[in-house]
Amino acid sequence: MSLWLPMLDALRATVRNLGRKPITAMHPFEPRTRAPRYRQTFALLHEQNGDEACIGCKKCEKVCPSEVIVVAAAKRESPATGKKRGYADDFTLDLQACIVCELCVQVCPVDAIVMCRVPNEPGFEREDLFLTMKRLYANETLPRAPAIGSTMIASHAQAPAPAAPAEEPTP
Amino acid sequence: MSALVQTPVIGVRADPYLDIETYEGQGDVMVLNMGPQHPSTHGVLRLKLWLDGEVVVKAVPYLGYLHRGVEKLLEKLTYVQSTPIVDKNDYVSSMTNELALVMAFEKLEGCEIPRRARYIRTICAEMQRVASHLLWLGTFSLDMGGALGGGTTAFMYCLRERELILDLFEELSGARFHYHMMQVGGVRHDLPQGWDARLKSVAAAIGARIPEYESMLSENPIFRARTRGVGRIDALLAQELGISGPNLRACGVDFDLRKAQPYAAYDEIEVRTALAYEGDVYARYQVRLAEMRESLRIATALIDGVPAGPIMGRKPIETVNAVKPPAGEAYVAIDSPRGELGGWVVSDGSTKPYRCKLRPPSYHALSALPYLLPGTTIPDVVVILGSLDPIMGEADR
Amino acid sequence: MLHALILGIVIASALLGVTSYYIWFERKFAGRMQSRVGPEHVGWKGLLQPIADAFKLLIKEDITPRTADRVLFNLAPLLAVFVALLTLAVLPLASGLVIADLDVGVLFVLAAGAMTVVPTWMAGWGSNNKYALLGGMRAIAQSVAYGVPLVLAALEGIAIAFFALRPGSFPYQLQDHVFILLTAGVVVMALVPVILSGSMNLSKIVAAQAGGHWFAFWPPGPGLAGGLIFVLATLAEGNRIPFDIPEAESELVSGISTEYTGMKFGMFYLGEYVHSLIGSALFVTLFLGGYDGPGPNVMALQLCWFLLKTALVSVVLLWARWTYVRVRSDQLMTLCWKYLLPSGLAVVVVSALWAWWREGGLS
Repeated sequence: MSLWLPMLDALRATVRNLGRKPITAMHPFEPRTRAPRYRQTFALLHEQNGDEACIGCKKCEKVCPSEVIVVAAAKRESPATGKKRGYADDFTLDLQACIVCELCVQVCPVDAIVMCRVPNEPGFEREDLFLTMKRLYANETLPRAPAIGSTMIASHAQAPAPAAPAEEPTP
Repeated sequence: MSALVQTPVIGVRADPYLDIETYEGQGDVMVLNMGPQHPSTHGVLRLKLWLDGEVVVKAVPYLGYLHRGVEKLLEKLTYVQSTPIVDKNDYVSSMTNELALVMAFEKLEGCEIPRRARYIRTICAEMQRVASHLLWLGTFSLDMGGALGGGTTAFMYCLRERELILDLFEELSGARFHYHMMQVGGVRHDLPQGWDARLKSVAAAIGARIPEYESMLSENPIFRARTRGVGRIDALLAQELGISGPNLRACGVDFDLRKAQPYAAYDEIEVRTALAYEGDVYARYQVRLAEMRESLRIATALIDGVPAGPIMGRKPIETVNAVKPPAGEAYVAIDSPRGELGGWVVSDGSTKPYRCKLRPPSYHALSALPYLLPGTTIPDVVVILGSLDPIMGEADR
Repeated sequence: MLHALILGIVIASALLGVTSYYIWFERKFAGRMQSRVGPEHVGWKGLLQPIADAFKLLIKEDITPRTADRVLFNLAPLLAVFVALLTLAVLPLASGLVIADLDVGVLFVLAAGAMTVVPTWMAGWGSNNKYALLGGMRAIAQSVAYGVPLVLAALEGIAIAFFALRPGSFPYQLQDHVFILLTAGVVVMALVPVILSGSMNLSKIVAAQAGGHWFAFWPPGPGLAGGLIFVLATLAEGNRIPFDIPEAESELVSGISTEYTGMKFGMFYLGEYVHSLIGSALFVTLFLGGYDGPGPNVMALQLCWFLLKTALVSVVLLWARWTYVRVRSDQLMTLCWKYLLPSGLAVVVVSALWAWWREGGLS
């Protein structure tokens, strides 16, 4: 009898799950909730005065371990302030080889590059996964993951920080 | 490491260097290649088996199919860039990979890690241990029960629980698998609001489901017949080969790096190691199950007492050359879910390491195969291989 | 004659259709047991999934390895389905609704069951593949041992034991014993209803169980034990978990159906499920009263009872399949030699005593 009882126990464990609701997420027919900090694709931001935030310092290009960022820098006069400052003439990011490490976001001194909370749409061609400057600026409207360089620096400050800072995504 | 435990040798040790040419078998010796692609989901491992009928006579594992040159790559990248690369080594337990390497860098630099960061690191490592053991349990039952059968059911249950942990980590770091949580000096992300309550509810949910797995497996006579007495490693052999972690603790050797060389916040909490004495597959299964429970207990105990404070102990890292430790070398060993994971780094004073090495516990576990497999049949080969919990990503780097 | 032929075609086609939807049901059922949904998107709730799968298998490339034995390789999948369907011929679905009312129905069923090893062996040898060979090696030795047709279970058991005890005389592997012993087990257990009803004709066996005297429950004891052993042995013969070493130890490496692509693989797959359904139907016929059930003796109602009982037994077998892990082959042999065969023989003796006492034995 002691041989059969555990066998019946196993059967009961399996049949108990028949009554539970399945946990399958019916993607893409139902929207899938992601955590607020979920990071996947990228966006380049504009400043308050309408200027492009990126100053072409190439720190992100240097820090990327997979070397997926290519920046062509130039110095121009800013249409908003009238002063000469650095710009990125071209900024490309190859999402295929990106390892989603967030280092580029962390080192950016002006918080120009951020990560977005929604995944990049899957595509049929390689070009769909190659983020050109136009697409990066277009992604600015996507909901953002909250960890941007300056926020990380703030939480890394030497001064005692509050216990658990609430991090809400900036719209 | 403590003195060698003098336990009597259990069973006769097989000869891994058996000369096949002169071997007298009952029939013809057949060479079977359990090749790099086989459904036993432990990565790409090639096992060359010499079979006499159905019984394995000699086994030679061939590694290197997943070698990606990680250590060479780390010589080219700076200290700041190397962390996201190494968490692809042991892809099932990323937190511990990063932890080992980053702690080696910190030892070189000599920087102090704030208490809050140490607590967060410990909690992440322990929850990662639970996730890793859940995945191991799932794939282990899959090996035994097959793709269409009871094995798949246990696999789905274990992964369902693991999803809860991955969701937790997604809330914390933004990624589900390769987190990039640790950085030289502390951790990169702080605990979000309400994470502690969620962690406790996840731990309670998983703790409630572990008895279900036990009812399907531990007492089941079929499972016990498959695993008891199979793949027995004696403690002496394990220590000679450098096997550590649950594989060693299942042989009766009480050696846990969390207690022997406490790191992170382990000196502030009591860790009870799980021990078993038979050294067979069933013992390893029991040890990992007990470790799951213990890790859940440690994580829930720590989360209540996470101290306030900064999470970075050095200047914030804002450039690629931010970390420049003095010349020297450092070795730090931590207890990953697979055993002793060591990070060794040699620095020549520049911003790039001169040499980096991660000592993988799976490599040493796999070296036990030529001793364990002779005398078993093919179904046993798969079960033994599964119970050692090898991850080829870290064995091959 | 023509009547039987048409009936056979109709019932066999119906069975194949039912098997496809049995596969659908299994996938949904197993999915729910694993906290997930099964097929959902191909048709409403995945009902068109079997059709999509069949279509997919049909359009796949049909590869035959250059060094494979063409005849064996191509014939094995056909035989697998054919042999599985063969048993259907003698099963009484309702009173009078049987394709071939053989007087030696039980013997025919057991012979067809023993033949299931032939396509397995053909696939293993004809694939010219080490892994398939390993999976089929046991079948080779078994077909050698079963060269002569066998009549009585006892004689079979003794002959096999005699051969098995001489080491080195055949390329015997541990697993070879397994099939032999399990088939012997099935044969022995099938004797129980034969003894209890006094006939090998399946229709008469079902008639003897009429009115609720199902052999599984009356006489209490030997019938239930016999039924249990019969279920285990059927699972083993049909290569179902927990006894699916030929195709699964193979799943860990490869399988007897390794080198098969497209519809040939589909035939093996289908044959396995057909065998499973037929095994359940056989169990229902021999031990659970066949088409017997409360209500008027109308053919349609009897058919419904038969189908309902078969469905319930198949669902229980599915449930067991998706819960247990695999048994190792030498452990299976131990199970058979040490537990099934002796208890089976004991059950046969007890049921013989019961039948003798009912016939007025001592008086």
